[in-house]
Amino acid sequence: MKKKKMTIFLLVAIFILIPTALTVFGYRIYVGASKEIEQPVIYDRHYVMITGDKDGGLWDSVYESAREEGEQRGICVERFGSGLPVKYDRDQLIKMAVQASVDGIILAGDESEETISGINRAVDSGIPVVTVFNDCSGSRRQCFVGSNYYHVGEEYGRQIRRILQVNPKSYTQKILVLMEENPKDASSNLILLGIRESLEQQLGVTRAISIETAQVDNSGSFSAEEYIRDLFLNEEEVPDILICLSEVYTQCAYQAAVDYNKVGDVQILGYYCSDQLLDALSKDIVKATITPDTDKMGRLCVKALEEYQQTGYTNGYETVDLKLVTSGDARKLLVEQQKEEEEK
Amino acid sequence: MKKWMHMTLQQKLITLFCLTSAVILTVNLFTYSMLSQMMGRVESVYTSNVNLNDLSNGLEELQAAMSAYLSTKSSDAMEQYYRSEQEYRNLIDTLNRKATDNEILLTEKNIYSLSQSYLELTGEIIQAKRGRNVEKYASLYDEASELYDEVNTFIYSLNNDQFRNNSETYRALAESMRYMEMITIAVLLLVLLGNASLIVMSTKMITEPLKLLAATANEVAQGNFEVQQLPVEQMDEVGIVTRAFNQMVTSIRTYIEQLRETMERENQLKEREFLMQNHLKDAQLKYLQAQINPHFLFNTLNAGAQLAMMEDAEKTQQFLLNVSEFFRYNVRKDDTPVTLGEEIRLVDNYVYILNVRFSGEILFEKDVDESLYHIPVPGMILQPLVENAVNYGIRNIDWKGRIELTVCKKNDRISISVWDNGAGMTKERIEQVLSGELPEETSASDSNGVGVRNVIERLKLFFDDQAQMDIYSEGLNMGTEFVITIPFTGEEE
Repeated sequence: MKKKKMTIFLLVAIFILIPTALTVFGYRIYVGASKEIEQPVIYDRHYVMITGDKDGGLWDSVYESAREEGEQRGICVERFGSGLPVKYDRDQLIKMAVQASVDGIILAGDESEETISGINRAVDSGIPVVTVFNDCSGSRRQCFVGSNYYHVGEEYGRQIRRILQVNPKSYTQKILVLMEENPKDASSNLILLGIRESLEQQLGVTRAISIETAQVDNSGSFSAEEYIRDLFLNEEEVPDILICLSEVYTQCAYQAAVDYNKVGDVQILGYYCSDQLLDALSKDIVKATITPDTDKMGRLCVKALEEYQQTGYTNGYETVDLKLVTSGDARKLLVEQQKEEEEK
Repeated sequence: MKKWMHMTLQQKLITLFCLTSAVILTVNLFTYSMLSQMMGRVESVYTSNVNLNDLSNGLEELQAAMSAYLSTKSSDAMEQYYRSEQEYRNLIDTLNRKATDNEILLTEKNIYSLSQSYLELTGEIIQAKRGRNVEKYASLYDEASELYDEVNTFIYSLNNDQFRNNSETYRALAESMRYMEMITIAVLLLVLLGNASLIVMSTKMITEPLKLLAATANEVAQGNFEVQQLPVEQMDEVGIVTRAFNQMVTSIRTYIEQLRETMERENQLKEREFLMQNHLKDAQLKYLQAQINPHFLFNTLNAGAQLAMMEDAEKTQQFLLNVSEFFRYNVRKDDTPVTLGEEIRLVDNYVYILNVRFSGEILFEKDVDESLYHIPVPGMILQPLVENAVNYGIRNIDWKGRIELTVCKKNDRISISVWDNGAGMTKERIEQVLSGELPEETSASDSNGVGVRNVIERLKLFFDDQAQMDIYSEGLNMGTEFVITIPFTGEEE
């Protein structure tokens, strides 16, 4: 009787459980395979961020924070033109954004005529424009979000002073500032002014040391890297302190210093703080780096546009704090990052 | 299960067939619908790319139509332009127009907005052309061409994104189809296995009682009715047959028992009857022998003979010796077989006694084959016949009585004949004597010995019905002959 019951149980198992298991398993496979496009979130407004040919970690970071801020406010923030097979320049992208009837533009500005006319055209079409990082003061943009470049220069001055204090004999050392070759961009000059005045204040006018500048030709795609390598190759031209005013320059300088065994000989002060730079900072290859608060930068852009959309007014200038990252800070940050990863 | 037990064989087989078929059908249908849905999805994977190609073609046609109109200003070109414009509007109407977090949809929105700007621009160009505003339409045409390129770039980008997306979906679908194929085969095999085991078990449930029944029936056919009752679990035809078989075996067993009892009873009855007959015969014989066994007389006669010998009365002594011998024979041979010679001797004694009594009136002659003297016969068979011949044959006749005894062998049988020339018998009388219809009293009371009928019965008992008695007479006063024929049972001496 027990055997009979067992047999019946087995038969029931075969005839009921197997088709059920098949149904469930097959359905799961089917659902897994036919993963529908997730229901998209619909936003009220569509803002675009145009950085043109400027890319790198800094801009990614700014965009990411703008996107997050937009999500919270029910706004879609798009990095306009980034996925297109044709690389359009900033002015073309502004024009296209206007033609695409977006609700707002966040723009990495400059002082060129084309940019000014592009911004004005957008504003004329009823599209508010916020410039970020670099201003376009000649245009009718609604707001500029960025750091005070004079303050950036002052901070670099303080860092130079710190290096000189550690190494007092080298007052006659050569200091080189790598700047973008853009006559219409005032930010580099403001930084330079800040450095000079800061050093004068700290060391006195008589002991002021000469600071050289180098205009890096940005016309070619990879010209910056070549220029910096040339700098390191020529022994006479190698500076004692090298100040890089962009993320890319900093990376190139750091790599060249390593490649040509100039670590320690050249004190590098960088700009922005990527993961790669953190590593370099922790190894003391780069002495310090100054970075704007990119997270705040992105959020302020969206906030300014939103304010303008709702009230018709917004602040013309939003300041973003500067952060100084030294070797010690970098090490701490790396340890924290490691801990976070372990916790994950 | 209970329901299954009560089903008929046909119902069981139909249920079995339907169940297994239904399972296989369900599994197949399910697999088929799943595969068909997947095929449908595979087919629809690249639909979005096809739609985008249409969009791109529509845009190209519109641009071409506008250029054609600008070149020719013909009404055909105009018509073509409006048709293309309408078609393109219809095409872009299917695009997304809302800002979303989905990149593809967002690109669709951009394409839609750019297309709207482009359509506006082309409209303006056409108006400028119609208004012959050459400068305006020439500059606007350049702008429109630029925008056309830009829209195309967006479409191209979207097409690429979708193709990448679709390829991923296609790969996932293809993979899952391969999985489904394997699962389907595995499941089909399992279901087949399940079906096979179900069929085996169910048919076993049906045929097992049948096999048991066949084996038991075979045993019964060989004569063994002491088989155990077969278990009846199912109520189908086999169950009914098994129950009937059980009843049949029980009934047969009961009948055999009853038959045996009846036969035993009959045998006992026959045995008893036979014993009773035997006892009766024995009693009758003993009674008859008691009648002719005057033990006391025999001793007395012996004493008389001795006395006669002492007185020298020789004839008296001879007579008394004969009488004594006659009675001694009776005393001694009461229950054991005797020989034919002894019987003849007894007849001699008897005839001598009678001749003394009746002064030699009886002429007794005998013709005996002496080689047959040793043949065993029952006692007292000849004397009664001779006595019968004397009493009923020659006693009351006027002529000289004569008795003849003949014993001879004829064809393996012995014939013993007692003949007299006396009163004779009628045929009716002969038949009455032979069939025993003559009342016993009549036959026995007048006689001082044993009746003829008694002789016949004892001969039959002794020779197992192989002895025969015949009576011959020509009629009244023509004499009588009693002939006994018995089988020859031994060798001649």
